[in-house]
Amino acid sequence: MNSKASEVEDTLKRIQSHKGVIGTIVVNSEGIPIKTTMDNTTTVQYAGLISQLSDKARSVVRDLDPTNDLTFLRIRSKKHEIMVAPDREFILIVIQNPAE
Amino acid sequence: MADRKAELEKKKAKLQAIREEKERRRREKEQKDAEEAAQRTAPADKDTRKELDEMLSSLGVAPVADVLSSLSSVTSVGTPEQSFTATPETSLQPNATPVFVASQRKKAPQLSVVSVQTTSIPPKETVVYTKQTQTTHAPHERDGSDSSSPLKGYYEDWWRPRKAQTFGYYDEYNLNPGLEWEDEFTVDDEESSLPYQNKLPPGILPSGLPQVKEIEPAVTQVEQEAPKKEPKTLQELSEDEKMMIVLSEDFQKFIDRSGRLMERALSERTDIYTDYTGATDNEDGGDEKSGNRLSFNRFFFDERWSKNRFVTSLDWSPQYPELLVASYQSNTESPHDPDGVCLVWNTKFKKTTPEYIFHCQSAVMSATFARFHPNLILGGTYSGQIVLWDNRVQKRTPIQRTPLSAASHTHPVYCLSVVGTQNAHNLISVSTDGRLCSWSLEMLSQPQDTLELQHPKNKAIAVTCHAFPNNDVNNFVLGSEEGAVYSACRHGSKAGVTEIYEGHQAPVTGINTHKVSGPMDFSHLFLTSSFDWTVKLWNQKENKPLYSFEDNGDYVADVAWSPLHPALFAAVDASGRLDLWNLNTDTEVPTATATVDGSPALNRVSFTPAGTHVTTGDDNGKIWVYDVGEQLATPRHDDWQKMMCTLQELKNNQADDEIDKLNLGSGPSSVSSIVSR
Repeated sequence: MNSKASEVEDTLKRIQSHKGVIGTIVVNSEGIPIKTTMDNTTTVQYAGLISQLSDKARSVVRDLDPTNDLTFLRIRSKKHEIMVAPDREFILIVIQNPAE
Repeated sequence: MADRKAELEKKKAKLQAIREEKERRRREKEQKDAEEAAQRTAPADKDTRKELDEMLSSLGVAPVADVLSSLSSVTSVGTPEQSFTATPETSLQPNATPVFVASQRKKAPQLSVVSVQTTSIPPKETVVYTKQTQTTHAPHERDGSDSSSPLKGYYEDWWRPRKAQTFGYYDEYNLNPGLEWEDEFTVDDEESSLPYQNKLPPGILPSGLPQVKEIEPAVTQVEQEAPKKEPKTLQELSEDEKMMIVLSEDFQKFIDRSGRLMERALSERTDIYTDYTGATDNEDGGDEKSGNRLSFNRFFFDERWSKNRFVTSLDWSPQYPELLVASYQSNTESPHDPDGVCLVWNTKFKKTTPEYIFHCQSAVMSATFARFHPNLILGGTYSGQIVLWDNRVQKRTPIQRTPLSAASHTHPVYCLSVVGTQNAHNLISVSTDGRLCSWSLEMLSQPQDTLELQHPKNKAIAVTCHAFPNNDVNNFVLGSEEGAVYSACRHGSKAGVTEIYEGHQAPVTGINTHKVSGPMDFSHLFLTSSFDWTVKLWNQKENKPLYSFEDNGDYVADVAWSPLHPALFAAVDASGRLDLWNLNTDTEVPTATATVDGSPALNRVSFTPAGTHVTTGDDNGKIWVYDVGEQLATPRHDDWQKMMCTLQELKNNQADDEIDKLNLGSGPSSVSSIVSR
């Protein structure tokens, strides 16, 4: 069991160690953060907002074609790029600075 | 000026049109009035019914049913007396000017079921509002009350012609008893609002000013949703709960999947915002690729899993040509990690971590993708076991392994390959004691067939490497520790070793058969590399090597034909040299050479299935990927022809040598340089 938990840690650490990555957050379907590398307030903010956004994006995709589903979401802004990998139960959010 | 004139003209024309329209409407109205007069008989009829109802109610029979069944009739029936008293006032009111009448009437068609909603508006409101709002409000209610009446449609039509008619009100009142004024209407409301509300279709709220009400619920809904979510996000999970989630199977799977995805996405460095309009100076290396070049592309290395481990084999996925499986020796510096490691690397994405990590208890000496099962990876171990991994399972350890028994291998398995077709294929494994086993992937508990590969003098062959010629499932070639090369076949009366090829003075490290199909078949050719610093080219039909490449100054560890070019092959040696030989260009020196950074001992070499890159594994666990220059990698149409000439020349030289040797006894074996152009 422990090795499995460490596998999760390893994966997240690997992602976090990528050049330009500012933060990595895993949230559940209700928008509650499970794992994070950022401070509490930022995490809660990202978790709540991004999970709402990804829900919305998913419903857009599904409304357009009911057989379709959302698999990935990239939000490019002037300062950051937020990459969202949504799943049925969890969402992986990575915030990176693409300029680096 | 002209513009103005034109404008005036336009306006005049408009006025004219409006007048005509009015005229038309008046006519229509008159017509409608006549109709209405005819219909007015109905309320009278209903009057009698009302009386009846009253009588019934006095007798104890509820008239409510009637009221419910036709509310409209109630309103139209119940109001006449009231309206008689009220209308004179309203008509006398100064605010009942034609303008307002007109504006009321304009709006009338939009009016809907909301009349009863007056109940929620305190009568005071009429006082507070300006006259205009009062009057515009009034029709809403009035019309609302009518909306469910059978006359509704009629009203809608009826309003329009009245537009801008000064005397409209009298007519309106006289002709339409269903029309009431606010104050008396409230009375009516009290009586009928309840049953009336019940009759309203669901979703329509009984409230005043519909415009206001329609917006309100929308606003409150959003507001309600937002605060509901906020506390949710604020609530935090306890550490234990988080741990529970982290340890759950679903979470593991999720992280495995999305982590891989995220890493790929992160590694893509393409900047989609590249702006070419600005002057940039990174326009470099247009002709870099043009030459016959070998250029370093990248390397695959994992700090934890591949460090200090010899790369023992490389194989490419037939289904996903970008996937490379590499097997690794044990790491002597970390005895606690599993001995055997097998990593799957992806050459398509720039991500630097392995796609999959597999390990087992014994060092993996050879690994191969199970050719017809895209998810399975097979490994031959030092212990003699053959292990099977599946990338669909969240497990890094093998899902199946062959038993350690005398029936199968008891020596290290250096050779592993899947041969056959989709419907009839076998896994062939050869261990260093010369035993060949063929397996069915469905049943790894025991081999389907075993064969002892023996030297004619009844000596077991220590097999170090093997290769099957293109599409051949029966015949294959073997390299051995004692330096001899053998050909053998699996089936038939002569199953076992068939030919011996003597030439190497030291253990054979690598063997590779020609696999480019083209206008000419060269599948009888194969190359061997050896610790004796040479690479030799053989023809299966001859016991002597066709040619010996003697440019290396160290152990040559492996050799591989290009899958694209008939005359191109790669060889690596222990001094970190990676050579590409194009037989059609030169046979004395390699066409392209690269020395791997740090000069590690290179152990394995392999071309990508597309033939445009060459990969080599070293003794530190790094796999180096080199780009092969396009001119070098891709054959021209006449390369097969040229290859034929080269082979012929090699043969002639060989014959010349023989003759020289015979004639001069100990003449220096000078192989003249062969350059065919």
